[in-house]
Amino acid sequence: MPKVTLENLEKLAADAEAARAGMRADLCVCVGTGCVSAGSVALVDELKRAVKDQGLDGELKVTPTGCNGFCAHGPIAVIQPEGAFYERLKAKDAPTLIQKHFVDSTPLEDHMYRDPETRELVPLEKDIRFFAKQQTIALRNRGIVDPEDIADAIGRGAYRGLRKVLAEDMAPEALIQMLIRSGLRGRGGGGFPTGVKWQSCCAAAVERSETPYVVCNGDEGDPGAFMDRSIVEADPHAVIEGMIIGAVAVGASEGFVYLRKEYPLALERLYKALDQARAWGLLGDSVMGTDFAFDIIVHQGAGAFVCGESTALMASMEGRAGEPRAKYVHSVEYGYRNRPTVLNNVETWAVVGQILDRGPEWFASIGTGDVSESPWGGSSGTKVFSLVGNVNNTGLVEVPMGITLREIVYDIGGGVPDGRAFKAVQTGGPSGGCLPEGSLDLPVDFDTLQKAGSMMGSGGLIVMDDRTCMVDVARYFIEFLLDESCGKCTPCREGLTCLNEILTRITEGKGRDEDLGLLEDLGAVLKDGALCGLGQTAGNPVLSTLHHFRSEYEAHIRDGKCPAGTCKALIKYTIDPETCTGCTLCARVCPTECISGEKKQLHTIAQDECIQCGTCLDACKDDAVLVE
Amino acid sequence: MIQVTIDDKTLEVEAGTSIVDAAKSAGIFIPTLCHTDFLEPEGACRVCSVEIEQNGRFQVVTACNYPIRGELTVKTASERALATRRTVLEMMLARWPQVKVVRDLAKHLGITEPRFAHPQKNEDPHACILCGLCVRTCREGVWQNVLGFEGRGASRRVVMPYDGVAPECVGCGACAFVCPTGAIQMMDDPNHPADAARIRRAGMVVTKEMVLLDDDQCKMRRAGTAHLVEIMNDYDLLPVNNYRFGSSDDAHKISSPHFVKRFTQNIQDGCALGCDMACAKGSDDFEITTGPDKGKRVCVDGPEYETAGGTTNMGIFDPEWCIEMNYYCDHYGVDTISYCTLMAFVMECYEAGVLNKERTGGLELPFGAADAAMEVLHQMARGEGFGLVAGQGVRRMKKMFVADYGADPDFLNDIGMESKGLEYSEYVTKESLAQQGGYGIALKGAQHDEAWLIFMDMVNKQIPSFADKAEALHYFPMWRTWFGLMGLCKLPWNDVEPTDNAETDEPAKVPKHVAGYCDFVAGMTGQEVTPADLIRMSERVYNFQRIFNLKMGFGQREHDRIPYRSAGPVTATEYESRAERYDKQLAEEVDFDPAGKSTDEKCAALRTWREDRYEKLLDAVYERRGWTANGIPTLTTAKALGIDKMDGLVDLLTANGAAQ
Ligand SMILES: Cc1cc2nc3c(=O)[nH]c(=O)nc-3n(C[C@H](O)[C@H](O)[C@H](O)COP(=O)(O)O)c2cc1C
Ligand code: SF4
Ligand code: SF4
Ligand code: FES
Ligand code: FES
Repeated sequence: MPKVTLENLEKLAADAEAARAGMRADLCVCVGTGCVSAGSVALVDELKRAVKDQGLDGELKVTPTGCNGFCAHGPIAVIQPEGAFYERLKAKDAPTLIQKHFVDSTPLEDHMYRDPETRELVPLEKDIRFFAKQQTIALRNRGIVDPEDIADAIGRGAYRGLRKVLAEDMAPEALIQMLIRSGLRGRGGGGFPTGVKWQSCCAAAVERSETPYVVCNGDEGDPGAFMDRSIVEADPHAVIEGMIIGAVAVGASEGFVYLRKEYPLALERLYKALDQARAWGLLGDSVMGTDFAFDIIVHQGAGAFVCGESTALMASMEGRAGEPRAKYVHSVEYGYRNRPTVLNNVETWAVVGQILDRGPEWFASIGTGDVSESPWGGSSGTKVFSLVGNVNNTGLVEVPMGITLREIVYDIGGGVPDGRAFKAVQTGGPSGGCLPEGSLDLPVDFDTLQKAGSMMGSGGLIVMDDRTCMVDVARYFIEFLLDESCGKCTPCREGLTCLNEILTRITEGKGRDEDLGLLEDLGAVLKDGALCGLGQTAGNPVLSTLHHFRSEYEAHIRDGKCPAGTCKALIKYTIDPETCTGCTLCARVCPTECISGEKKQLHTIAQDECIQCGTCLDACKDDAVLVE
Repeated sequence: MIQVTIDDKTLEVEAGTSIVDAAKSAGIFIPTLCHTDFLEPEGACRVCSVEIEQNGRFQVVTACNYPIRGELTVKTASERALATRRTVLEMMLARWPQVKVVRDLAKHLGITEPRFAHPQKNEDPHACILCGLCVRTCREGVWQNVLGFEGRGASRRVVMPYDGVAPECVGCGACAFVCPTGAIQMMDDPNHPADAARIRRAGMVVTKEMVLLDDDQCKMRRAGTAHLVEIMNDYDLLPVNNYRFGSSDDAHKISSPHFVKRFTQNIQDGCALGCDMACAKGSDDFEITTGPDKGKRVCVDGPEYETAGGTTNMGIFDPEWCIEMNYYCDHYGVDTISYCTLMAFVMECYEAGVLNKERTGGLELPFGAADAAMEVLHQMARGEGFGLVAGQGVRRMKKMFVADYGADPDFLNDIGMESKGLEYSEYVTKESLAQQGGYGIALKGAQHDEAWLIFMDMVNKQIPSFADKAEALHYFPMWRTWFGLMGLCKLPWNDVEPTDNAETDEPAKVPKHVAGYCDFVAGMTGQEVTPADLIRMSERVYNFQRIFNLKMGFGQREHDRIPYRSAGPVTATEYESRAERYDKQLAEEVDFDPAGKSTDEKCAALRTWREDRYEKLLDAVYERRGWTANGIPTLTTAKALGIDKMDGLVDLLTANGAAQ
């Protein structure tokens, strides 16, 4: 295999692209975690077989790729370069797809995307609304590049940024200044300017003459989040390239990726990519033939949310319990093994190579960033979000900073399904906040979200419709955080216990007037008193819902009612005699069989047996089930 | 220095000082719960929350672990700080309403009833409040690391591994001692001592001093005995070139920092379960460069001071060599002291021409010949070559060299550093008469472990007269023998001392520790004992041992002789290297005017005087011990000690002129 050098990188890339261009088409099949579990590995095999069977070997290439983002529609195949989009494919569909699309030149309509509103077929990926407003940097290779083939990645420009750094023999400070000018702020949640972080690490390393470390945070413990997993699965070389550049900037010779063990596919691809990078001379004693030496070691995390916190992560890497320590002295000064350490999120590392390759000004031109006065000015570039909840198009999206929440929810997400009303969007992961309708036109960037009482976090976006109880949402997140709190400091451990107790009581209709004040006090003491970021932000779910949806709390406490109709202790399902058509559907789906009624007659619910599961409510086509 | 304003007081502190410490020095009280002086601050309880302002930014921080690194204003009782502190206490009170520290702190903050109910409310007044003091004490103080937290969040609790009683728990009781709530109870001791609590209290005094004072006083925990290298060199007591000199310009090359950086195993010793002094050290991942294990990476148990001092005694100043020699001595079952001292003797013989390449089987062995010296060690183990000669030890080598090579017996006796056939350990005793006695009279041969009096005698001049020295040479050997009787290590007795030890009547005896040992015996046996009783125990055994030596042909005055090298300069070089000191002594104490005299003349005068003093010392010690002038316990002494009933004892003493 070739050793990549400063001189031959362009040639290797050109060769790889030429090989691809020589083909009639490239069938890019998603082998992200979602599509793999829906059978896409077999699909790849069958497609290859079908290509062979049709004698199209020399013309068609089948490329397994990282996650497309549109996982709910998987397994997905996109035919490049034309961009034809096929969804929900099974292995058995392979011969038909090849036959129809390539031999008969007629699209396979059964597997084309249909717009949920217009009900029209949309043949090309770029025309699907989910993709329309996206702009990819971190995920630019998703759906295109085979993550297990370094040649493919190089063909798409991997390691070009690194080459520039090494070929121009950039001084660390110059490199750092480029990062600062790009306006890149950490994607792991805090939004700390990456260049500034590198600069402090550099300074500490020089002052104490110690070799620093670079670390990639791939802990990703937020429930429902899979941004980082997808990046590693789709484009591991982008992360590796970023880390090598970081190592050049701070003078590190060892780097670590902390990736959770529950990500077997990401781990497998990362290990493969590292092996290939070593074999190709991109890691090791002589990176790209220069005298710069660097290697990367993978640490498998055991899956605790708190281990994503920088000091807990380093404790865990050192073999100790993953508990945070005070950050009055930051880990850029005393981090892993007490050495200066740069810790960045997967997504942060993944864009570094692009910034170097295309220039900081290009990056800064995207988004709302303006670093002319301070590195904290605005938010440059793009951000990956996992868009989930009550929204038509769920999935992973990468959008330019500054896009509004409304654009994400409605234009990309396609709005709230079943014609229900939008109620709130939760951003920032478990310790983020819930923003109401009135906040939908806010631009999405670090500072705006923070000001609105939520945060960017690592990029979770949960859309909630009008049947979501905000008290219960707060309780849900508090329960999660209590479960994940390390328990070291009193405010977090006891404060979350007490918050959970109070919120549970409220959802059970046992709330008291003074509870709201107590919730606020406890939220405040968490913010001021807790040791680490987990506890300090843990009050957010309560404080933000209290702020925007106070009346809903009051309804639970004063009127004993759950306006959204979900708190089981406070609701009663009945059947409206006016609208019930006696279709028997509800009686057939009720798990406790407590609904009775003759065909075409009014049905009734036996209240003492009803468990308020809401199955009948969802089943009734005539909206005859009422919630009180 | 950095300026801080705490409430209304402004003061200057060193960078890195914590807010709690700064406040304390300004007389301002900040409540703490999970913090104590001797542990790294943890910042867990948040009771010490204060508000700070720096560059216009306000922030609540924990005072115990916030290091002051820039100018700053602290408000210990701002509204925000108090709100945090109060709510924290309120939470604790809700969970542990009966625990006294919690109640007291809550009351201090004006809270009597929490506003919320806690699902894990625990009415036990001795409930664990998760402060972590025990966990950190076990880890950082005792180095045993047995306690830890289990469970996340609300299920956090203190456990030993696998929720059992870990065999690694040494039962020191430090965790129970620091626990602010009494949550930790010690289990009944398996040995069923008469009064376990009394023993534990006595033990805790030692544990506490080790943890709190050793870093300042002795560094046994960090450096082990290796820290003595530089101290001995400073006081001219580090043996160099077969005890010719007491210091060297090269000593820094082998001083303790070189070893400390190799010591990765700062853990408790295996030699005494639960010993917090933990002086034994290990050099890990050490690559062997010679002999059968060449190329292997091994863990070396050591080095101790004696091994390093023995290395300089051979004129070798290479720490790596020292560790390798340490390894092979352990590996072959050779004592490092004997090896070093006999090699130093061999080297001096080589330089003096008694030995040469022919006689050593081709090895060149002047001082500093590190490679050749290591080869001798390997030959000793293999039982071949010159190793067969050296391995016999100094006493037999002296005889062989006289018989085989016609060497001058007087010279060899002067420089062959052994007594009763045992090689000297690694201290230069020339300037301390009491220490010369300590080595010479010691029952098992030239060893310092009966009495180590150099500092008392030479540095602090606490025992000027013969009677003083004799008293010390009675008390200390008896006292140290007592440790042997009990199976206890002597180091914790006086390596680390109570901070007020200097103010006691007899600081050299460390009276508070002696009282602790009395408590230990009483707690073990149920019988009250006084310090004098302890000495009495030893006297019986010590005198019996001396009589036993006598029976075996060793216990007389002639056996307490020492080589002159340990009492004064043998050669002209030695004299001249410390000429000022010796000239002064001749002039002031010997009544011999050194002016215009040759070195040989001066040497001779000094020798006569010093040898005479040694004899006088023996007289004084024997008398103090109730022995005859020939160094034999009298029958009266034996009777007084109640050891006269032994078969044949009266006959033996009578035959040796000690019937009185
Ligand atoms: C409780 C908690 C969990 C966190 N989890 C993650 C995580 O899973 N991934 C991550 O990159 N950062 C996480 N962070 C943020 C990290 O502490 C850190 O700020 C980040 O990795 C720095 O990288 P960046 O500057 O590139 O964002 C977490 C922080 C806290 C307080
Ligand atoms: S805030 Fe929570 S997670 Fe963070 S240290 Fe405290 S208890 Fe642990
Ligand atoms: S047992 Fe005592 S010392 Fe240990 S954590 Fe609990 S209260 Fe603190
Ligand atoms: S896994 Fe295939 S689109 Fe996400
Ligand atoms: S005393 Fe400072 S946090 Fe416990």
